[in-house]
Amino acid sequence: MPDVQPLVSEFVLKLKRRKVEGSHAVARQTAELLRSVVSQHRMGSTNQAAALADAIRSVGEQLISANPIVGNIVRRVLHIIKEEDISSTAVGIEGLSVTVDSDDEYDSGNDDHPTLSAAVLASHARNALRAPSLQTLLDDIPVSTALSRSASSTGDSDGKTAGDKSLKTRKLKHDVIAAIGDLIEEIDTCYDQISEQAVELIHQNEVILTLGRSRTVKEFLYAAKEKKRSFRVFVAEGSPRYQGHVLAKELVEKGVQTTVITDSAIFAMISRVNMVIVGAHAIMANGGVIAPVGMNMVALAAQKHAVPFVVVAGSHKLCPLYPHNPEVLLNELKSPSDLLDFGEFSNCMNFSTQDGTPLLNVVNPTFDYVPPKLVSLFVTDTGGHSPSYMYRLISEYYSADDLVVQRKSTS
Amino acid sequence: MELDAAQNPNPDPPISAYYQTRAEHHAVVSSDWLAHAAAAAASFPDAGAGADAAPPPSPGSNGGGVIEEFNFWRRKPEAAEAVAAIMALAAVIRSSRATTMMELEIELKKASDKLKSWDATSISLSAACDLFMRFVTRTSHLEHEKFDAAKSRLIERGEKFGEISLKARKTIAMLSQDFISDGCTMLVHGYSRVVLEILKLAASNRKLFRVLCTEGRPDRTGLRMSNELAALGIPVKVLIDSAVAYSMDEVDMVFVGADGVVESGGIINMMGTYQIALVANSMNKPVYVAAESYKFARLYPLDQKDMTPAHRPIDFGVPIPAGVEVETSARDYTPPQYLTLLLTDLGVLTPSVVSDELIQLYL
Repeated sequence: MPDVQPLVSEFVLKLKRRKVEGSHAVARQTAELLRSVVSQHRMGSTNQAAALADAIRSVGEQLISANPIVGNIVRRVLHIIKEEDISSTAVGIEGLSVTVDSDDEYDSGNDDHPTLSAAVLASHARNALRAPSLQTLLDDIPVSTALSRSASSTGDSDGKTAGDKSLKTRKLKHDVIAAIGDLIEEIDTCYDQISEQAVELIHQNEVILTLGRSRTVKEFLYAAKEKKRSFRVFVAEGSPRYQGHVLAKELVEKGVQTTVITDSAIFAMISRVNMVIVGAHAIMANGGVIAPVGMNMVALAAQKHAVPFVVVAGSHKLCPLYPHNPEVLLNELKSPSDLLDFGEFSNCMNFSTQDGTPLLNVVNPTFDYVPPKLVSLFVTDTGGHSPSYMYRLISEYYSADDLVVQRKSTS
Repeated sequence: MELDAAQNPNPDPPISAYYQTRAEHHAVVSSDWLAHAAAAAASFPDAGAGADAAPPPSPGSNGGGVIEEFNFWRRKPEAAEAVAAIMALAAVIRSSRATTMMELEIELKKASDKLKSWDATSISLSAACDLFMRFVTRTSHLEHEKFDAAKSRLIERGEKFGEISLKARKTIAMLSQDFISDGCTMLVHGYSRVVLEILKLAASNRKLFRVLCTEGRPDRTGLRMSNELAALGIPVKVLIDSAVAYSMDEVDMVFVGADGVVESGGIINMMGTYQIALVANSMNKPVYVAAESYKFARLYPLDQKDMTPAHRPIDFGVPIPAGVEVETSARDYTPPQYLTLLLTDLGVLTPSVVSDELIQLYL
C-alpha cells in the first residue's frame, strides 16, 4: 500500500516532534489514520482478515515507538478485525446448519476431528473471541482450523459465483471500517459520558485537589458546576510546564473558586482536601496509572491522610501491558531547558575535561507510575471501577496475542 | 518405632498423602523419615502402595478401582495430582457400562467423591475432580450427538489432560519471561515444577540472573531445587528458612508455586510461603505466584487454621522430649494482599480475577 506510506510517515513525524498534543488528539488521529489504511488496503480473496491485520501491524510498528496511547488504538483495531472476521464466519456457519450434510461429505476424509454439529462450531467460534478461561480449559478444538475448514467447505459448497466471494470481502472491510468509526465516536464522546458521573461523586461544599491540567478533569468539574454543586478546587501548578495555571484560569471563567498551589505544598494542604481528582496518560493492566510527573507524590500524600484518589480517564487509555514491561518502564525525558535556561546552564560546563562535559545534569521526566493500591476509583466512560477490575475491560477490548505488535512474516 | 513414642504422646495425626507423595518425589529424604512414613502409610487403609510396577488393574467395579488407578498415575513424578485424578476419572468412564449421560454422570460423581474423601487434604485433586465433572455436565448438554460419540470424546479429553497440563506449564513459562530481567535476583521457595520450567526457559534464553533458594525444611525440597538449578548453570545460593528476611534486601522478586489457589485470590502452599510473602511485602518486593488454572479451588479460608489439616512427620535429628508438642502442619495460607500477580495459563492475573473465573465456571 504505497499510497498510505506518506500519511503514516507524516503522522510519525508529528508524534515525534510532539506537534500532536493531548491524548484525545493522538487517539483520534491514530484511529483516523488506521481507518484510511484499511479503506485503501486491497483485499485478497483468501485469508483476508490475516492480511488486513498484517497491514495494520506494519503501520502500528512504526507508530508505537512514539506513544502508549497509539499502541492501544492499534491493538483495538486489530481486535476489531478479529471480532468482525469471527462473527461473520460464525453467522455463516449457523446459517449453514441446514446444509450440514454436505459439510460431512467433505469432513469424512479427515479422521482426526470427529464431525461436529454446526451449533458446536458456532459456540466455539464465540469462545475464541473471549480470553482463555476455566470453562474452555478442557476443550481442544483448534478453532481456527475448524473454522477455516468449514469456511472453505462453505465456499466450495456455495461455489456459485465469484460475486459471492467478493461480497464477503467487501463485507469484512465495510464492517471493520464501520467499527473503527464507532471507535472514533467513542473517543470523542468519552468526555460526556465521564462527566455525567460527576454529580454522583462531587457533593456540596467539597474541596477537590488536582495536579496539572487534564481535559477530562476540566470537563468533569464543569459538569458538576453546571449541576449547581458548590465546591472549591486546589490546583497544583504542575511544574515544569505550569499547565495548572491554565486550568485555574479556565475554572475561574466558569465561576469555580480556585486556589493555586505549588507542587511542594501538596502535602501541606492535603489535610484540608476531601477528594483528589486527576487525569491519566495511560491505565495499566494491573490497575496502575501512568500519569504526569508528580502524581505519585499526590497519591502517597492522599493515602497518608485517607483522602480518596480518583482517576478519570477514557477507556481508550486502557493499556493491556503490565508495568514491568520495558516498553512501559522507559520514561520519556523531555528537554532540560524547561527547568533551566541554557544561559544559566552554560556556567556549569567544565572545560577542564577533554570534551567539556557538564558537571551539572538536568533530568526532566514526563511520567510517573502510580501503583494500584493507591488508587481508590477509576471513572471511565463505562462507569466507575475499582483498580482490581480493570483487567476485565482489557479482555473486552484487546486480544491476548496482540500484546507485542510485530509484523508476522508472510511466508 | 521408639522415636514415635518419644516424639509425640498423642496418637499419630493422620499423615497427608499429598505431601507424602511430594516428599517422595522431590525431597532429599533420610532413611529415618522413610521408615516413619512407611509406618504411617501402613496404618492407612487405602494406600495401595504396592501397585507401582504393575499396570493398573482394569477397574471392574467402580469403587476400589478408581483409587488404584489414581495411585498408579500419582506415582509418576512428572505428573501433577490433578492429571492423575482426571486420568482416573477417564478410566472410570471407559469401563462404565452406563447407557445414558445421566447414569454416567452419577457414576462419575460417586468416583469423584471417593477420590476426594481418600485424600481430603489435596486441593488440586478436588479442584480437578470438580473441573472434570463440570466439563462432563456441560458437554452433555451442548452436543446433541449419540451417547457413544460423547463418551469417547470425554475419554479422549480426559486422557489428553496430561498434555494440557504440560502445555499450561509452557504457557506460564512464556508469560513469565518478561518479568525476569538481566541481572535480577530472585527468591524461590519449595520445589515447584512450574517455577522450574520458568527458570529453565529463562536460562535457555540466556538471561543472566541469580536465584536464592530456601532450604524448605523438613523435606528439604529446596536442596533438590538447587540441584536442578545448578545443573542448568544458574548461580544458586541456598538459605536456611530463617535467613529469608536477612537476604530479602538483595532480592528483586519472589517466585513461588501453589498447591491451590483459593477463591479470595490467596494461595495455599508449602509451609513458609506466608512468612516469605509477609517479609517481601514489608520490603516492597513483588511476589509472583506461578500456578496452573486447574488449581483454582472453591475454598475461602479465613485464617491459617481454616483448612483441612495436612500433617507430615518432621525429623529433628534428635529425640524430642516427651510432653513437647510439634507443629506438623505441612502448608499455610497466604492472603491475596501479599501477592502481586498470579502467572497462570489463562494469562497474567491479579488476585481478584480468581473469584471471577470460578464464578463463571460454577455458577
